[in-house]
Amino acid sequence: MIEQFTDGFAMALRFDTLLMIIVGLFSGMLVGALPGFTTLMAMAILLPLSFFLDPLVGIPFLLGVYKGGIFGGSIPAILVSMPGTGAAVATSIDGYKLTQKGQSRKALDIALFSSVIGDTASDIFTVLLIFPIAFLVMQFGPPELFAVLLMSLIIIVVTSGRSPLKGLIMMFFGFWLAQIGTDPIGGVERFTFGLFELKSGIPLLPMLIGVFALPEIAYALMRTDRVQSISKLVGERLNRDEFRRCVKTIRRSTVIGTAIGIVPGLGQVVAAMMGYSAAKNASDHPETFGEGEIEGVAAAEAANNAVNGPTLVPLLTLGIPGDNVTAILLGAFVAQGLRPGPQLFEEQGATVFAILIAMVFANLLFLVIGYFSIPFFSRIVTVKSGLLIPIVIMFAFAGAYVFRSDPTDLLMLVGFGLFGLLARAGKFEVMPMVMGFILGPPLEYAFGQTVAMAGTSPLSFVFADRPGMLGVLIATPIVGYLLWRRMRSVRS
Amino acid sequence: MNRLSRVSAETWLTLFFVVLSLCCLAFMSQLVAESKVLFGRSLTPIQPTLFPIIILSALGVLSLWQIWVMRSHWLSDEPMLMGGKGFRRVVFLFAIMLVYALAMDTVGFFISSAIAMGMIGFVAGNRVVVQILLVSIVAPVLLYLVATRGLAVSLPELSVIEFAYAGLFNR
Repeated sequence: MIEQFTDGFAMALRFDTLLMIIVGLFSGMLVGALPGFTTLMAMAILLPLSFFLDPLVGIPFLLGVYKGGIFGGSIPAILVSMPGTGAAVATSIDGYKLTQKGQSRKALDIALFSSVIGDTASDIFTVLLIFPIAFLVMQFGPPELFAVLLMSLIIIVVTSGRSPLKGLIMMFFGFWLAQIGTDPIGGVERFTFGLFELKSGIPLLPMLIGVFALPEIAYALMRTDRVQSISKLVGERLNRDEFRRCVKTIRRSTVIGTAIGIVPGLGQVVAAMMGYSAAKNASDHPETFGEGEIEGVAAAEAANNAVNGPTLVPLLTLGIPGDNVTAILLGAFVAQGLRPGPQLFEEQGATVFAILIAMVFANLLFLVIGYFSIPFFSRIVTVKSGLLIPIVIMFAFAGAYVFRSDPTDLLMLVGFGLFGLLARAGKFEVMPMVMGFILGPPLEYAFGQTVAMAGTSPLSFVFADRPGMLGVLIATPIVGYLLWRRMRSVRS
Repeated sequence: MNRLSRVSAETWLTLFFVVLSLCCLAFMSQLVAESKVLFGRSLTPIQPTLFPIIILSALGVLSLWQIWVMRSHWLSDEPMLMGGKGFRRVVFLFAIMLVYALAMDTVGFFISSAIAMGMIGFVAGNRVVVQILLVSIVAPVLLYLVATRGLAVSLPELSVIEFAYAGLFNR
């Protein structure tokens, strides 16, 4: 493991890797800073670009977009009270009040510093944690893997929206979509409707861009007639005393964000809200929260950025993407021939370490770029979306096409975009569908192997031979129910 | 608003799931090929229809349950997707994207992108003709150059343009 770590360290120090991290950070901040444009949209649109780069360049580039985008989302949240992402909603509560008081520069500074600290600490934790977990996962057989995949899906369903019933419907629909094509066990055709184009199944890329990016674009289009009053970047920079006052809050929020990041499905929105609530509860002056309290911005930003690293733990060790952004990262890993799961660490341990170390470097670059470019990104907030929407759509179409050079993928892209829009209008979350689609084939495969192993006595197999599987299966409804209750109280 | 136009997106989608699951279950034998058999024994531990039957049954039951849950509000007084101008824009956007998707392979990336981007820019509220023209001509050229020269991937293009492009760069 030490050897893999040192190899990974050397691999991460490549010039092109660092250069593309900078490009990714800049692109992420740029998109995040545009009101109505989100990190998710940026990731979906730029995903195909990573396919044609070396894994050690393409994946760190996407991680840069991710980190930059999450921080970039706080710029319109602070300046115009228009959070680009759900994660920035908590930031806008106090951030915009600070802008109204003429202290927007301070708010953006503390947002940057707390984002970098939260992110770096959680990334280091991820580097230290990921190998022991991967080692544990390597002991799993198909029955345990089946139970863990099922549990992860249930957690994603109960945490991704207000209605677990709708989440389950979408998850099963995702399973069905994954069954189109060739059966992973027997190799026979299923649900192809006689169409040659469907024989190899539905490609992941048009689906990801379609359900995540196109509905966002459509909603950005609907919002163009809303006039926003633009506030300029004003006021003094953050001073040392103010920063020192926030250190405790940043530390607390980092722990909260890191813990939430490990659990699939919870994500940045929950982390930011919980970090903000915890800071308010622990404060000696809770009445100042919501009135322009600098600690409020620090709490939300440190928590939502601390999620970034740990979400990679379930992704890399089990192949379970914890949220929609990591689902896109999974697409990047798979396209690069790096199938996340326990085997990845055996076969490509140094590469995984290199990616994780590059992620830590990205934070240092993020601090430098963010510090000097805040004035620039603050002006970006005013760019007309009418100018950018066509470019984003062209990127989406070119990206969906280049991977397979198949014109059918473009039709699928539009179809999934329309479905995503309808789902959003009907308050159905698309996240469980994407998870069902991604995890459906491994789940079915593990299920088939479990059935084969169990033979004619499945009950005694589960109860006597596989206590691990039994434990996870029993824990699934309990954990699901507790998380659902917790999420309900967080949302209310 | 008449009764049909008041049916909410939630209801349409749930009905779609019910119909999908019932149709797939009813025509399962036509939609899933027979499993491979050697000397009268199946080559796989589970039938290829087993997992689909479980999935589609669950989808059908849950969708019917959802219909039961929303029995009192399957009609909506609010128009779908905000209604009005915003809704018309989205309809135009998807119509343009559909034509763009169908046309890209036939008329090539440059021409289809230039036309689609111009139209989308207009639908998105941009009324400055110079900006629309600049974006719709410069952006596809730049992306094509990045894709073909930087990433070494191909985008669909008319033979005439591809020959001219090759002549320009391979001299």
